[in-house]
Amino acid sequence: MPLMEIKELKKNFNSQTVLKNISLGVEKGDVVAIIGPSGAGKSTFLRCLINLERRDGGSVNVEGIELNPDDKKSVKKVQQKMGMVFQSFNLFPHMTVLKNVMIAPIKVKKIDKSIISEKAKNLLAKVGLSDRGDYYPSQLSGGQQQRVAIARALAMNPDIMLFDEPTSALDPELVGEVLKVMKKLADEGMTMIVVTHEMGFAREVANKVIFMEKGNVVEEGTPEKIFNNPSEKRTKEFLEKIIK
Amino acid sequence: MNLQFTLSKLPTMLTASLMTIELTVLSLIFGTILAVIIAFMRISKNKLIKNIARFYLWIFRGTPLILQLFFLYYALPTWGITLSPFAAAVIGLSLNSAAYTAEIVRGGIISIHEGQYEAANVLGMTYRQTMFEIILPQTIRNILPAMGNQFIGMLKDTSLVSTIAMVELMRQAQLVGSATFKYTEVYITAALIYLLLTSVFSYVFSKMESKLSIY
Ligand SMILES: Nc1ncnc2c1ncn2[C@@H]1O[C@H](COP(=O)(O)OP(=O)(O)O)[C@@H](O)[C@H]1O
Ligand SMILES: [Mg+2]
Repeated sequence: MPLMEIKELKKNFNSQTVLKNISLGVEKGDVVAIIGPSGAGKSTFLRCLINLERRDGGSVNVEGIELNPDDKKSVKKVQQKMGMVFQSFNLFPHMTVLKNVMIAPIKVKKIDKSIISEKAKNLLAKVGLSDRGDYYPSQLSGGQQQRVAIARALAMNPDIMLFDEPTSALDPELVGEVLKVMKKLADEGMTMIVVTHEMGFAREVANKVIFMEKGNVVEEGTPEKIFNNPSEKRTKEFLEKIIK
Repeated sequence: MNLQFTLSKLPTMLTASLMTIELTVLSLIFGTILAVIIAFMRISKNKLIKNIARFYLWIFRGTPLILQLFFLYYALPTWGITLSPFAAAVIGLSLNSAAYTAEIVRGGIISIHEGQYEAANVLGMTYRQTMFEIILPQTIRNILPAMGNQFIGMLKDTSLVSTIAMVELMRQAQLVGSATFKYTEVYITAALIYLLLTSVFSYVFSKMESKLSIY
Protein backbone atom coordinates (compact mmCIF):
# COMPACT_ATOMS: atom_id res chain seq x y z
CA MET A 1 0.00 0.00 0.00
CA PRO A 2 1.33 3.48 -0.87
CA LEU A 3 2.33 5.94 1.86
CA MET A 4 -0.51 8.16 0.74
CA GLU A 5 -3.53 7.24 -1.31
CA ILE A 6 -5.95 9.77 -2.75
CA LYS A 7 -9.06 8.48 -4.46
CA GLU A 8 -11.52 10.44 -6.58
CA LEU A 9 -11.01 13.65 -4.65
CA LYS A 10 -13.70 16.23 -5.41
CA LYS A 11 -13.99 19.84 -4.40
CA ASN A 12 -16.50 22.56 -5.23
CA PHE A 13 -16.47 26.23 -4.38
CA ASN A 14 -20.10 27.27 -4.37
CA SER A 15 -21.35 25.99 -7.71
CA GLN A 16 -17.90 25.80 -9.31
CA THR A 17 -16.30 22.36 -9.50
CA VAL A 18 -12.63 22.95 -8.81
CA LEU A 19 -11.44 19.34 -8.50
CA LYS A 20 -13.07 16.50 -10.41
CA ASN A 21 -12.09 13.03 -9.28
CA ILE A 22 -8.39 13.33 -8.61
CA SER A 23 -6.67 10.08 -7.71
CA LEU A 24 -3.03 9.73 -6.78
CA GLY A 25 -0.81 7.25 -4.98
CA VAL A 26 2.36 8.50 -3.33
CA GLU A 27 5.09 6.06 -2.35
CA LYS A 28 7.64 6.65 0.36
CA GLY A 29 10.46 8.78 -1.05
CA ASP A 30 8.42 10.00 -4.00
CA VAL A 31 8.85 13.54 -5.17
CA VAL A 32 5.69 14.47 -7.00
CA ALA A 33 5.69 17.69 -9.00
CA ILE A 34 2.30 19.17 -9.86
CA ILE A 35 2.34 21.56 -12.76
CA GLY A 36 -0.40 23.34 -14.66
CA PRO A 37 -1.85 26.73 -15.45
CA SER A 38 -3.10 29.12 -12.80
CA GLY A 39 -6.60 28.23 -11.63
CA ALA A 40 -6.15 24.53 -12.42
CA GLY A 41 -6.88 23.59 -8.80
CA LYS A 42 -3.31 22.72 -7.77
CA SER A 43 -3.40 24.67 -4.51
CA THR A 44 -6.87 23.44 -3.69
CA PHE A 45 -5.69 19.88 -4.19
CA LEU A 46 -2.78 20.29 -1.76
CA ARG A 47 -5.00 22.08 0.72
CA CYS A 48 -7.55 19.27 0.69
CA LEU A 49 -4.80 16.77 1.58
CA ILE A 50 -4.02 18.58 4.83
CA ASN A 51 -7.62 19.64 5.42
CA LEU A 52 -7.09 23.37 4.98
CA GLU A 53 -9.97 22.95 2.57
CA ARG A 54 -12.71 20.48 3.25
CA ARG A 55 -13.08 18.09 0.36
CA ASP A 56 -16.53 17.33 -1.04
CA GLY A 57 -15.93 13.77 -2.10
CA GLY A 58 -13.45 10.94 -2.44
CA SER A 59 -10.96 9.80 0.15
CA VAL A 60 -7.53 10.66 1.48
CA ASN A 61 -5.56 7.99 3.28
CA VAL A 62 -2.21 8.77 4.85
CA GLU A 63 -0.19 5.89 6.28
CA GLY A 64 -3.33 3.91 6.86
CA ILE A 65 -5.28 6.75 8.46
CA GLU A 66 -8.43 7.92 6.71
CA LEU A 67 -8.75 11.70 6.74
CA ASN A 68 -12.28 12.35 7.94
CA PRO A 69 -13.01 16.11 8.08
CA ASP A 70 -15.78 15.46 10.63
CA ASP A 71 -13.43 13.67 12.99
CA LYS A 72 -10.98 16.11 14.55
CA LYS A 73 -8.74 13.32 15.78
CA SER A 74 -8.19 11.91 12.31
CA VAL A 75 -7.57 15.41 10.98
CA LYS A 76 -4.90 16.06 13.63
CA LYS A 77 -3.31 12.67 13.04
CA VAL A 78 -3.09 13.19 9.30
CA GLN A 79 -1.86 16.76 9.72
CA GLN A 80 0.86 15.52 12.04
CA LYS A 81 2.23 13.31 9.26
CA MET A 82 2.51 16.27 6.93
CA GLY A 83 4.29 19.57 6.81
CA MET A 84 3.28 22.41 4.56
CA VAL A 85 5.19 25.27 3.00
CA PHE A 86 3.18 28.17 1.60
CA GLN A 87 3.83 30.51 -1.27
CA SER A 88 3.70 33.47 1.10
CA PHE A 89 5.86 31.81 3.83
CA ASN A 90 3.40 32.67 6.62
CA LEU A 91 6.11 32.90 9.23
CA PHE A 92 5.05 34.28 12.60
CA PRO A 93 6.33 37.86 12.41
CA HIS A 94 6.38 38.45 16.17
CA MET A 95 8.75 35.57 16.86
CA THR A 96 12.43 35.22 16.12
CA VAL A 97 13.51 32.69 13.54
CA LEU A 98 14.46 30.23 16.24
CA LYS A 99 11.13 30.67 18.03
CA ASN A 100 9.27 30.16 14.75
CA VAL A 101 10.94 26.77 14.43
CA MET A 102 10.49 25.81 18.08
CA ILE A 103 6.96 26.96 18.79
CA ALA A 104 5.02 23.99 17.40
CA PRO A 105 7.18 21.26 18.94
CA ILE A 106 6.96 23.05 22.29
CA LYS A 107 3.22 23.76 22.25
CA VAL A 108 1.88 20.83 20.24
CA LYS A 109 4.28 18.03 21.10
CA LYS A 110 5.21 19.41 24.56
CA ILE A 111 8.87 18.73 23.87
CA ASP A 112 11.33 20.16 26.35
CA LYS A 113 12.75 23.52 25.31
CA SER A 114 16.39 22.52 25.70
CA ILE A 115 15.91 19.46 23.51
CA ILE A 116 14.04 21.27 20.78
CA SER A 117 16.36 24.26 20.77
CA GLU A 118 19.22 21.92 19.89
CA LYS A 119 17.17 20.41 17.10
CA ALA A 120 15.98 23.79 15.84
CA LYS A 121 19.57 24.94 15.55
CA ASN A 122 20.43 21.85 13.52
CA LEU A 123 17.48 22.48 11.24
CA LEU A 124 18.54 26.09 10.72
CA ALA A 125 22.02 24.85 9.87
CA LYS A 126 20.47 22.46 7.39
CA VAL A 127 18.69 25.28 5.57
CA GLY A 128 21.83 27.43 5.77
CA LEU A 129 20.63 29.92 8.36
CA SER A 130 22.64 29.08 11.49
CA ASP A 131 23.53 32.71 11.98
CA ARG A 132 19.97 34.03 11.69
CA GLY A 133 18.29 32.40 14.69
CA ASP A 134 17.83 35.64 16.60
CA TYR A 135 16.53 37.64 13.65
CA TYR A 136 12.89 38.45 13.06
CA PRO A 137 11.32 37.32 9.77
CA SER A 138 11.02 40.93 8.56
CA GLN A 139 14.81 41.22 8.78
CA LEU A 140 15.31 38.38 6.29
CA SER A 141 15.08 38.16 2.52
CA GLY A 142 12.21 36.22 0.96
CA GLY A 143 14.48 33.30 0.19
CA GLN A 144 15.70 33.18 3.78
CA GLN A 145 12.13 33.41 5.09
CA GLN A 146 11.06 30.51 2.95
CA ARG A 147 13.97 28.43 4.19
CA VAL A 148 12.90 29.20 7.76
CA ALA A 149 9.40 28.07 6.83
CA ILE A 150 10.84 24.77 5.61
CA ALA A 151 12.79 24.34 8.86
CA ARG A 152 9.66 25.15 10.84
CA ALA A 153 7.70 22.44 9.04
CA LEU A 154 10.54 19.93 9.44
CA ALA A 155 10.68 20.56 13.18
CA MET A 156 7.47 18.56 13.53
CA ASN A 157 9.09 15.52 11.90
CA PRO A 158 6.63 15.12 9.04
CA ASP A 159 6.75 12.10 6.76
CA ILE A 160 5.41 14.06 3.81
CA MET A 161 6.13 17.65 2.85
CA LEU A 162 3.69 19.69 0.80
CA PHE A 163 4.98 22.74 -1.07
CA ASP A 164 2.59 25.18 -2.71
CA GLU A 165 4.58 27.24 -5.20
CA PRO A 166 7.34 27.82 -2.64
CA THR A 167 9.38 30.06 -4.94
CA SER A 168 6.66 32.00 -6.74
CA ALA A 169 6.77 34.96 -4.38
CA LEU A 170 10.55 35.27 -4.60
CA ASP A 171 12.80 37.53 -6.61
CA PRO A 172 14.42 35.42 -9.35
CA GLU A 173 17.86 35.55 -7.78
CA LEU A 174 16.52 34.03 -4.55
CA VAL A 175 14.73 31.06 -6.12
CA GLY A 176 17.87 28.94 -6.35
CA GLU A 177 18.67 28.89 -2.64
CA VAL A 178 15.20 27.56 -1.79
CA LEU A 179 15.23 24.94 -4.54
CA LYS A 180 18.65 23.82 -3.34
CA VAL A 181 17.28 23.15 0.15
CA MET A 182 14.32 21.28 -1.33
CA LYS A 183 16.60 19.18 -3.50
CA LYS A 184 18.69 18.30 -0.47
CA LEU A 185 15.53 17.19 1.32
CA ALA A 186 14.53 15.04 -1.64
CA ASP A 187 18.00 13.51 -1.77
CA GLU A 188 17.65 12.56 1.89
CA GLY A 189 14.55 10.60 0.99
CA MET A 190 11.78 12.97 2.09
CA THR A 191 8.45 12.30 0.44
CA MET A 192 7.33 15.52 -1.21
CA ILE A 193 4.44 16.90 -3.22
CA VAL A 194 5.45 20.14 -4.88
CA VAL A 195 3.25 22.51 -6.83
CA THR A 196 5.69 24.45 -8.94
CA HIS A 197 6.35 26.46 -12.05
CA GLU A 198 10.06 25.62 -11.85
CA MET A 199 10.25 23.12 -14.66
CA GLY A 200 13.98 22.59 -14.15
CA PHE A 201 13.30 21.46 -10.59
CA ALA A 202 10.40 19.23 -11.65
CA ARG A 203 12.51 17.61 -14.34
CA GLU A 204 15.59 17.12 -12.21
CA VAL A 205 14.24 16.31 -8.76
CA ALA A 206 10.77 14.80 -9.20
CA ASN A 207 10.23 11.18 -10.06
CA LYS A 208 6.59 11.77 -10.91
CA VAL A 209 5.08 14.75 -12.70
CA ILE A 210 1.39 15.55 -12.80
CA PHE A 211 -0.09 17.99 -15.25
CA MET A 212 -3.36 19.46 -14.03
CA GLU A 213 -5.85 21.63 -15.83
CA LYS A 214 -9.39 22.73 -15.02
CA GLY A 215 -9.67 20.43 -12.03
CA ASN A 216 -8.47 17.34 -13.91
CA VAL A 217 -5.25 15.43 -14.07
CA VAL A 218 -4.57 15.64 -17.79
CA GLU A 219 -1.45 13.53 -17.73
CA GLU A 220 0.95 11.99 -15.27
CA GLY A 221 4.22 10.20 -15.68
CA THR A 222 7.95 10.33 -15.22
CA PRO A 223 9.66 13.66 -15.91
CA GLU A 224 11.23 12.13 -19.02
CA LYS A 225 7.83 11.24 -20.40
CA ILE A 226 6.05 14.48 -19.51
CA PHE A 227 8.82 16.82 -20.62
CA ASN A 228 10.25 14.92 -23.57
CA ASN A 229 7.38 12.96 -24.89
CA PRO A 230 3.98 14.03 -23.56
CA SER A 231 1.08 12.06 -24.96
CA GLU A 232 -1.53 14.77 -24.43
CA LYS A 233 -1.77 17.76 -26.70
CA ARG A 234 -2.66 20.05 -23.78
CA THR A 235 0.48 19.07 -21.90
CA LYS A 236 2.61 19.86 -24.91
CA GLU A 237 0.94 23.24 -25.40
CA PHE A 238 1.35 24.15 -21.74
CA LEU A 239 5.02 23.21 -21.67
CA GLU A 240 5.76 25.05 -24.90
CA LYS A 241 4.19 28.17 -23.49
CA ILE A 242 5.97 28.01 -20.14
CA ILE A 243 9.40 26.98 -21.37
CA LYS A 244 9.73 29.37 -24.30
CA MET B 1 -4.19 83.46 40.24
CA ASN B 2 -3.25 82.92 43.87
CA LEU B 3 -0.21 80.70 43.99
CA GLN B 4 -0.18 80.29 47.75
CA PHE B 5 -3.79 79.17 47.77
CA THR B 6 -3.11 76.79 44.92
CA LEU B 7 -0.18 75.22 46.75
CA SER B 8 -2.18 74.90 49.97
CA LYS B 9 -4.88 72.94 48.14
CA LEU B 10 -2.44 70.84 46.14
CA PRO B 11 -2.26 67.92 48.63
CA THR B 12 -6.08 67.60 48.62
CA MET B 13 -6.16 67.69 44.85
CA LEU B 14 -3.36 65.15 44.52
CA THR B 15 -5.07 62.81 46.95
CA ALA B 16 -8.22 63.05 44.86
CA SER B 17 -6.25 62.32 41.71
CA LEU B 18 -5.12 59.05 43.30
CA MET B 19 -8.78 58.06 43.12
CA THR B 20 -8.83 59.09 39.46
CA ILE B 21 -5.83 56.85 38.84
CA GLU B 22 -7.37 54.00 40.79
CA LEU B 23 -10.63 54.22 38.84
CA THR B 24 -8.75 54.40 35.56
CA VAL B 25 -6.51 51.43 36.23
CA LEU B 26 -9.26 49.20 37.62
CA SER B 27 -11.64 50.03 34.79
CA LEU B 28 -8.88 49.47 32.27
CA ILE B 29 -8.13 46.02 33.63
CA PHE B 30 -11.76 44.87 33.90
CA GLY B 31 -12.75 46.67 30.72
CA THR B 32 -9.97 45.11 28.68
CA ILE B 33 -10.63 41.58 29.91
CA LEU B 34 -14.31 42.01 29.12
CA ALA B 35 -13.44 43.59 25.77
CA VAL B 36 -11.41 40.56 24.69
CA ILE B 37 -14.29 38.26 25.63
CA ILE B 38 -16.80 40.40 23.72
CA ALA B 39 -14.48 40.65 20.71
CA PHE B 40 -14.26 36.84 20.56
CA MET B 41 -18.03 36.57 20.94
CA ARG B 42 -18.43 39.08 18.15
CA ILE B 43 -16.32 36.99 15.73
CA SER B 44 -17.88 33.72 16.87
CA LYS B 45 -19.59 31.57 14.26
CA ASN B 46 -22.43 30.94 16.70
CA LYS B 47 -25.23 33.37 15.79
CA LEU B 48 -26.62 33.60 19.32
CA ILE B 49 -23.25 34.40 20.89
CA LYS B 50 -22.52 36.88 18.14
CA ASN B 51 -25.86 38.63 18.63
CA ILE B 52 -25.44 38.86 22.39
CA ALA B 53 -22.16 40.68 21.76
CA ARG B 54 -23.79 42.90 19.16
CA PHE B 55 -26.61 43.77 21.58
CA TYR B 56 -24.07 44.67 24.24
CA LEU B 57 -22.21 46.97 21.86
CA TRP B 58 -25.46 48.51 20.70
CA ILE B 59 -26.49 49.39 24.25
CA PHE B 60 -23.18 50.64 25.57
CA ARG B 61 -22.06 52.55 22.53
CA GLY B 62 -25.50 53.91 21.81
CA THR B 63 -26.22 55.56 25.16
CA PRO B 64 -24.27 58.20 27.09
CA LEU B 65 -21.81 57.03 29.72
CA ILE B 66 -23.36 59.38 32.24
CA LEU B 67 -26.73 57.71 31.74
CA GLN B 68 -25.15 54.30 32.26
CA LEU B 69 -23.59 55.55 35.50
CA PHE B 70 -26.87 57.05 36.69
CA PHE B 71 -28.67 53.84 35.90
CA LEU B 72 -26.21 51.77 37.92
CA TYR B 73 -26.17 54.13 40.87
CA TYR B 74 -29.70 55.54 41.02
CA ALA B 75 -31.95 53.06 39.19
CA LEU B 76 -30.55 49.72 40.31
CA PRO B 77 -31.46 50.26 44.00
CA THR B 78 -35.15 50.21 43.03
CA TRP B 79 -34.46 46.67 41.79
CA GLY B 80 -32.89 45.81 45.12
CA ILE B 81 -29.30 46.20 43.95
CA THR B 82 -27.49 48.96 45.78
CA LEU B 83 -23.98 49.80 44.69
CA SER B 84 -21.49 52.03 46.45
CA PRO B 85 -20.41 55.02 44.36
CA PHE B 86 -17.03 53.37 43.89
CA ALA B 87 -18.51 50.06 42.72
CA ALA B 88 -20.96 51.82 40.41
CA ALA B 89 -18.14 53.92 39.00
CA VAL B 90 -15.81 50.99 38.32
CA ILE B 91 -18.58 48.84 36.88
CA GLY B 92 -19.94 51.63 34.71
CA LEU B 93 -16.56 52.68 33.36
CA SER B 94 -15.53 49.06 32.76
CA LEU B 95 -18.72 48.12 30.93
CA ASN B 96 -18.57 51.25 28.81
CA SER B 97 -14.89 51.12 27.88
CA ALA B 98 -15.20 47.37 27.17
CA ALA B 99 -17.64 48.16 24.37
CA TYR B 100 -15.25 50.52 22.63
CA THR B 101 -12.16 48.44 23.32
CA ALA B 102 -13.92 45.31 22.04
CA GLU B 103 -14.35 46.87 18.63
CA ILE B 104 -10.67 47.84 18.56
CA VAL B 105 -9.67 44.30 19.55
CA ARG B 106 -12.02 42.77 16.99
CA GLY B 107 -10.58 45.00 14.27
CA GLY B 108 -7.10 43.93 15.31
CA ILE B 109 -7.96 40.24 15.27
CA ILE B 110 -9.61 40.28 11.86
CA SER B 111 -6.74 42.28 10.39
CA ILE B 112 -4.38 39.32 10.93
CA HIS B 113 -3.75 37.54 7.65
CA GLU B 114 -5.54 34.21 7.10
CA GLY B 115 -2.16 32.61 6.38
CA GLN B 116 -1.24 32.92 10.06
CA TYR B 117 -4.17 30.71 11.05
CA GLU B 118 -3.35 28.25 8.28
CA ALA B 119 0.30 28.00 9.30
CA ALA B 120 -0.68 27.41 12.92
CA ASN B 121 -3.34 24.91 11.87
CA VAL B 122 -1.03 22.72 9.78
CA LEU B 123 1.52 22.78 12.59
CA GLY B 124 -1.13 21.17 14.75
CA MET B 125 -1.95 24.05 17.05
CA THR B 126 -5.36 24.16 18.69
CA TYR B 127 -7.68 27.16 18.42
CA ARG B 128 -6.57 28.34 21.86
CA GLN B 129 -2.88 27.99 21.08
CA THR B 130 -3.36 29.75 17.78
CA MET B 131 -5.13 32.64 19.47
CA PHE B 132 -2.80 33.04 22.44
CA GLU B 133 0.52 32.31 20.74
CA ILE B 134 -0.03 33.65 17.23
CA ILE B 135 -3.01 35.93 16.79
CA LEU B 136 -3.33 37.95 20.00
CA PRO B 137 0.35 38.92 20.32
CA GLN B 138 0.22 40.36 16.81
CA THR B 139 -3.13 41.95 17.53
CA ILE B 140 -1.78 43.73 20.59
CA ARG B 141 0.96 45.33 18.56
CA ASN B 142 -1.44 46.40 15.83
CA ILE B 143 -4.00 47.93 18.15
CA LEU B 144 -1.65 49.58 20.64
CA PRO B 145 -2.01 53.10 19.18
CA ALA B 146 -5.82 52.87 19.17
CA MET B 147 -5.77 51.41 22.68
CA GLY B 148 -3.63 54.32 23.86
CA ASN B 149 -6.28 56.73 22.65
CA GLN B 150 -9.02 54.66 24.21
CA PHE B 151 -7.23 54.55 27.56
CA ILE B 152 -6.62 58.29 27.60
CA GLY B 153 -10.29 58.84 26.78
CA MET B 154 -11.12 56.55 29.66
CA LEU B 155 -8.94 58.52 32.07
CA LYS B 156 -10.79 61.71 31.17
CA ASP B 157 -14.15 59.92 31.36
CA THR B 158 -13.52 59.14 35.01
CA SER B 159 -14.44 62.79 35.62
CA LEU B 160 -18.05 61.85 34.86
CA VAL B 161 -18.32 59.74 38.00
CA SER B 162 -18.21 63.01 39.95
CA THR B 163 -21.96 63.01 39.21
CA ILE B 164 -22.58 59.89 41.28
CA ALA B 165 -21.00 61.13 44.48
CA MET B 166 -17.52 59.78 43.77
CA VAL B 167 -14.84 62.14 44.98
CA GLU B 168 -12.09 62.03 42.40
CA LEU B 169 -10.08 64.84 40.88
CA MET B 170 -12.95 66.60 39.09
CA ARG B 171 -15.31 66.40 42.04
CA GLN B 172 -12.63 67.60 44.42
CA ALA B 173 -11.99 70.60 42.19
CA GLN B 174 -15.71 71.42 42.24
CA LEU B 175 -15.89 71.06 46.02
CA VAL B 176 -12.89 73.26 46.70
CA GLY B 177 -14.03 75.73 44.06
CA SER B 178 -17.51 76.20 45.41
CA ALA B 179 -16.24 76.48 48.99
CA THR B 180 -13.61 79.12 48.20
CA PHE B 181 -14.87 80.69 44.96
CA LYS B 182 -11.32 80.35 43.62
CA TYR B 183 -12.50 78.55 40.49
CA THR B 184 -9.61 79.66 38.31
CA GLU B 185 -7.03 78.20 40.67
CA VAL B 186 -8.74 74.86 41.25
CA TYR B 187 -9.69 74.20 37.64
CA ILE B 188 -6.26 75.13 36.35
CA THR B 189 -4.71 72.87 38.98
CA ALA B 190 -7.06 70.03 38.01
CA ALA B 191 -6.32 70.61 34.33
CA LEU B 192 -2.58 70.43 34.97
CA ILE B 193 -2.94 67.19 36.90
CA TYR B 194 -5.06 65.68 34.09
CA LEU B 195 -2.45 66.80 31.58
CA LEU B 196 0.31 65.24 33.64
CA LEU B 197 -1.59 61.94 33.87
CA THR B 198 -2.50 61.78 30.18
CA SER B 199 1.06 62.67 29.25
CA VAL B 200 2.44 59.88 31.40
CA PHE B 201 -0.05 57.48 29.78
CA SER B 202 0.94 58.61 26.29
CA TYR B 203 4.58 58.22 27.15
CA VAL B 204 4.12 54.70 28.50
CA PHE B 205 2.19 53.72 25.37
CA SER B 206 4.71 55.17 22.95
CA LYS B 207 7.44 53.30 24.86
CA MET B 208 5.48 50.07 24.54
CA GLU B 209 4.91 50.73 20.85
CA SER B 210 8.57 51.24 20.12
CA LYS B 211 9.45 48.20 22.20
CA LEU B 212 7.04 46.06 20.19
CA SER B 213 8.09 47.45 16.85
CA ILE B 214 11.34 45.50 16.84
CA TYR B 215 9.78 43.15 14.32
N1 LIG C 1 -11.58 29.95 -1.20
C1 LIG C 1 -12.05 29.92 -2.46
N2 LIG C 1 -13.31 30.32 -2.73
C2 LIG C 1 -13.82 30.29 -3.98
N3 LIG C 1 -13.13 29.88 -5.05
C3 LIG C 1 -11.86 29.46 -4.87
C4 LIG C 1 -11.26 29.47 -3.57
N4 LIG C 1 -9.99 29.01 -3.69
C5 LIG C 1 -9.81 28.74 -4.99
N5 LIG C 1 -10.94 29.01 -5.71
C6 LIG C 1 -11.09 28.79 -7.15
O1 LIG C 1 -10.74 27.47 -7.44
C7 LIG C 1 -10.04 27.40 -8.65
C8 LIG C 1 -8.72 26.70 -8.43
O2 LIG C 1 -7.91 27.53 -7.63
P1 LIG C 1 -6.47 27.09 -7.12
O3 LIG C 1 -6.55 25.77 -6.47
O4 LIG C 1 -5.94 28.21 -6.33
O5 LIG C 1 -5.67 26.96 -8.50
P2 LIG C 1 -4.11 26.95 -8.77
O6 LIG C 1 -3.42 26.76 -7.46
O7 LIG C 1 -3.90 25.81 -9.70
O8 LIG C 1 -3.78 28.24 -9.41
C9 LIG C 1 -9.91 28.81 -9.18
O9 LIG C 1 -10.91 29.01 -10.14
C10 LIG C 1 -10.14 29.65 -7.96
O10 LIG C 1 -10.74 30.86 -8.33
MG1 LIG D 1 -2.06 28.04 -6.49
